[in-house]
Amino acid sequence: MSKWTEARARTPLVSVRNIDVTFGNGRNAFKAVDNVSFDIYRGETFGLVGESGSGKTTIGRAIIRINKVSAGDILYEGKRISGKIDRECDREVIRNIQMIFQDPMASLNERAKIDYIISEGLMSVNHGMSAAERKEKVEQALLDVGLLPEFASRFPHEFSGGQRQRIGIARCLVMNPSFIIADEPISALDVSIRAQVLNLLSRLQQERGLTYLFIAHDLSVMRFITNRIAVIYKGVIVELAETEELFRHPLHPYTKVLLSAVPVPNPRVERKKKVLVYDPGCHHYSDGERPVWAEVVPGHFVRGSERELDAYSEERDK
Amino acid sequence: MAAKKPLFNRQMRRISELDANIQAGLAREEAERAKQAEAEIETVDYTPEQIAALDPALFEPAGFNEEDAERTGYSNYSYWASTFKNFWRNKVARVLIIALIAVLLFAFLQPIFPGQHDPVTINNDPETGIQLMNLAPSSEYWFGTNAIGQDLWARVWAGTRVSVFIGLVVALSDLVVGVIIGMIWGYVRKVDKVMTEIYNVISNVPQTLILILVSYILRPSITTIIISMCMVGWMAMARFIRNQVVIFRDRDFNLASRCLGTSTFRIITKNLLPQMVSVIMLQTALAIPGAIGDEVFLTYIGLGLPTSQASLGNLVEAGRVLMMQKELRYQLIFPAAVVAFITIAFYIIGNAFSDAADPKNHV
Amino acid sequence: MENREIILSVKNLNVRFSLRGKSLHAIRGVSLDVFKGESLAIVGESGSGKSVLTKNFIGLLDKNGRIDSGEILYAGMDLAKFTTEKEWAKIRGKKIAMVMQDPMTSLNPLKTIGWQISEALILNRGMKRAEAKAAAIDILKDVGINEPQRRYRQYPHEFSGGMRQRVVIAIAVACGPEILICDEPTTALDVTIQSQILGLIKTLCRKYEMTTIYITHDLGVVANVADRIAVMYAGDIVEIGTADEVFFNPQHPYTWALLSSLPQLGEKGKELYSIKGTPPKLFGVIKGDAFAPRNPQALKIDYLVRPPYFEVSPTHKARTWLLDPRAPKIEPPEIIKRLHDLEQEGEAGEADE
Repeated sequence: MSKWTEARARTPLVSVRNIDVTFGNGRNAFKAVDNVSFDIYRGETFGLVGESGSGKTTIGRAIIRINKVSAGDILYEGKRISGKIDRECDREVIRNIQMIFQDPMASLNERAKIDYIISEGLMSVNHGMSAAERKEKVEQALLDVGLLPEFASRFPHEFSGGQRQRIGIARCLVMNPSFIIADEPISALDVSIRAQVLNLLSRLQQERGLTYLFIAHDLSVMRFITNRIAVIYKGVIVELAETEELFRHPLHPYTKVLLSAVPVPNPRVERKKKVLVYDPGCHHYSDGERPVWAEVVPGHFVRGSERELDAYSEERDK
Repeated sequence: MAAKKPLFNRQMRRISELDANIQAGLAREEAERAKQAEAEIETVDYTPEQIAALDPALFEPAGFNEEDAERTGYSNYSYWASTFKNFWRNKVARVLIIALIAVLLFAFLQPIFPGQHDPVTINNDPETGIQLMNLAPSSEYWFGTNAIGQDLWARVWAGTRVSVFIGLVVALSDLVVGVIIGMIWGYVRKVDKVMTEIYNVISNVPQTLILILVSYILRPSITTIIISMCMVGWMAMARFIRNQVVIFRDRDFNLASRCLGTSTFRIITKNLLPQMVSVIMLQTALAIPGAIGDEVFLTYIGLGLPTSQASLGNLVEAGRVLMMQKELRYQLIFPAAVVAFITIAFYIIGNAFSDAADPKNHV
Repeated sequence: MENREIILSVKNLNVRFSLRGKSLHAIRGVSLDVFKGESLAIVGESGSGKSVLTKNFIGLLDKNGRIDSGEILYAGMDLAKFTTEKEWAKIRGKKIAMVMQDPMTSLNPLKTIGWQISEALILNRGMKRAEAKAAAIDILKDVGINEPQRRYRQYPHEFSGGMRQRVVIAIAVACGPEILICDEPTTALDVTIQSQILGLIKTLCRKYEMTTIYITHDLGVVANVADRIAVMYAGDIVEIGTADEVFFNPQHPYTWALLSSLPQLGEKGKELYSIKGTPPKLFGVIKGDAFAPRNPQALKIDYLVRPPYFEVSPTHKARTWLLDPRAPKIEPPEIIKRLHDLEQEGEAGEADE
């Protein structure tokens, strides 16, 4: 039984249903996310890949309620968490869904000590917690991410990028969330540090059964960390499949371009590599041929017109 | 006397010995530092002979401690310490702040010094009983006397006290009201539109007009002046804070706080306010001389404090009237000098402090 | 390789910064020869001094930094002795140009793209305005910008990030420099654009016979473009060799670690190789091998004496005691071998052609 069929038997932890996110209004309105749907199952790592401006970060922020959705629903454990929700539900969201930010240099409050930064979330959901208990939790969180408890009394600027990102992760962990949105958590880090953070994320997933939405702009780390990947282009999801399936049988031309751009750490391979360029005009969509969202093989979805889909499934079967 | 001299000599000798010691110490330190600097570069390379002579026992695994790998050099940086250090490095600001504190301290302590005249008493010639009008500065009346024989020295300090008091109260009110309103205005999106409209309406009415109106309706007094200035002063501050908040509002660290469920109040006090320390300090520092200037202006158009009340505004105004008479010009120069000094000092100190408080300058 | 002409030579360079009253030793005795026409990549993590090193070549060292000792020889001059802007004006842009990470910092938002390129041509090559315009349009075409006539009149904000970086490259190339320094030229860009830009730089350098120096933290990115790779750690070059030598026969434990931790090599379900800890702060003296505290296989000698360069081949040397005959034989991590597998794939590809 493949992972995918297993997954289908389960209920999704997070469901995104036909959401639109629009910025600005009237004439200046800009639709950053256009009719996007996907499910994230408990315990999996769901990857969302796209270039800057594709709307991937916007989707993450819509789930955690920083950005408002202008249409569609977002469900957490079957309960709607988008739009107007009551206080109790809002607190549930805060407790269960957390976010890791891209730039560790910008996401920590420079004027607060690590101690405060990590315990910030505890103060808002656990009013009754004693100072000693809080201190203990902070120290434990620091240890969990491989830092030393003595760091608690320092300011963020004393830490390197990798350490700061781990502080950002510790800040999520004290909330004991079940779902973490990791918005390009490693792209601002040095390559030498990326492995540290990726290992930490997968270890935490195993130990705590966390579910991740992992947002990235390139596919190089995706194969290592994700179970399923959705590829997004200009606010529209163009392909969604299990990771290995996507890497072996990319169908949409944009996915192929992204795959060809992954740098191979081998000079001899790299020198001969041909990088593809995506031309959105290659689809020739006309009135008669609107693109639709279709399942080519079980679990492998792609966007295309009838004609393209036929070509895709032929390509897939080869 | 004779007994004292050897003692003095001995002390001199001790001082010179100490001095020599210090010099020697400094020289030694300097030499050590030079040697160290040299060593730092020279540690770089061993000669081939030295390398050949190395003990083979050194070529063994040394063991590994993961914790040590994590520990980084502790830089011992503190925001406020760096701010003050930076500020203190600015020589002009350092001289000015010492001078300003001295002047203000003196202004408030002046009445308790011996031999001071009363600022409101009209001094009469003890023999003739005639008012000592318009006396030029002398050893008795250091700044001379005014048109009705009051001691200008005492009046200048009394006026400074009153004007600085007004300035401080107004600046404090601008700070508190302006920051609170500005924060809400900038952070809570819903009120932004309404607040901006209100601001546009109020700010299009010239501030002086409001000042004049309030001073005109109420009876002239220190309270009136303070109220009228507080009514208009907060707006500039609030607008300023609002713009700052809009800049910082959507930075990642604030979004992170929102994701953690931190209340708006705590985001404002813990995330936003500390970021703005430097600009708020500058605005507040400038508000003090601003209020003093306004007071001078109100007096000039006849809506200031009653003439019996000494204030820098009243003094400057009284002096201005006599400006064209060369021998009476001192009545303008002394209060004007105090106003000028306070304004310039606050301006430069405020700027220096705001530069020092900007973490970008903490190198 | 030894017969090749040396265009720029750095000799035992030491650079210090004064930071918050402390002295920071950013470049610790670096020697480096750059050959004419080659493309050299300097790889290292942030704080390794890779940017600081190259900033010395164009006199853009930050104000609180100074060259302590050493020489930078270029065209018979010692750049390390330069003090005035006037001296630098002859070199910067004209002979040695730089492409920065963020294209927006090098473009003037208030001037048209065309104006900025022709201004560079007028200033540095003494062209007339009309002549410069024609040349600028040619260069825009060269860097792969469509409709150069129309684009000439546009402002930077009308360009996308990748297009802006092309313009920055165009300006750098316009003055015909001998050496082009690219400081993380693609870090701020999307992956798909990244490879295009790297390809562009490569073509241009061939066309205009420029020597290129790449600065990057990502070994994966330079595999394609670099002839030689220098690995920097804590202000020192720890290993230098041809791209093939550094990728397939790395000697320094830090190079091993850098290569092994590339996420592309990761296997699902297994831990990625990761370097423990963080780079050292360069305040004070660093004894021995700077990487020792993060190296699980460090030798005792690594904590005491800085290793000299051991020559692996005439083009390849590394600063590690592991190459000393007295050192125990320590194998590079398993994962490095997977690179060899990738090499075989590459050779298989070659056979196909």
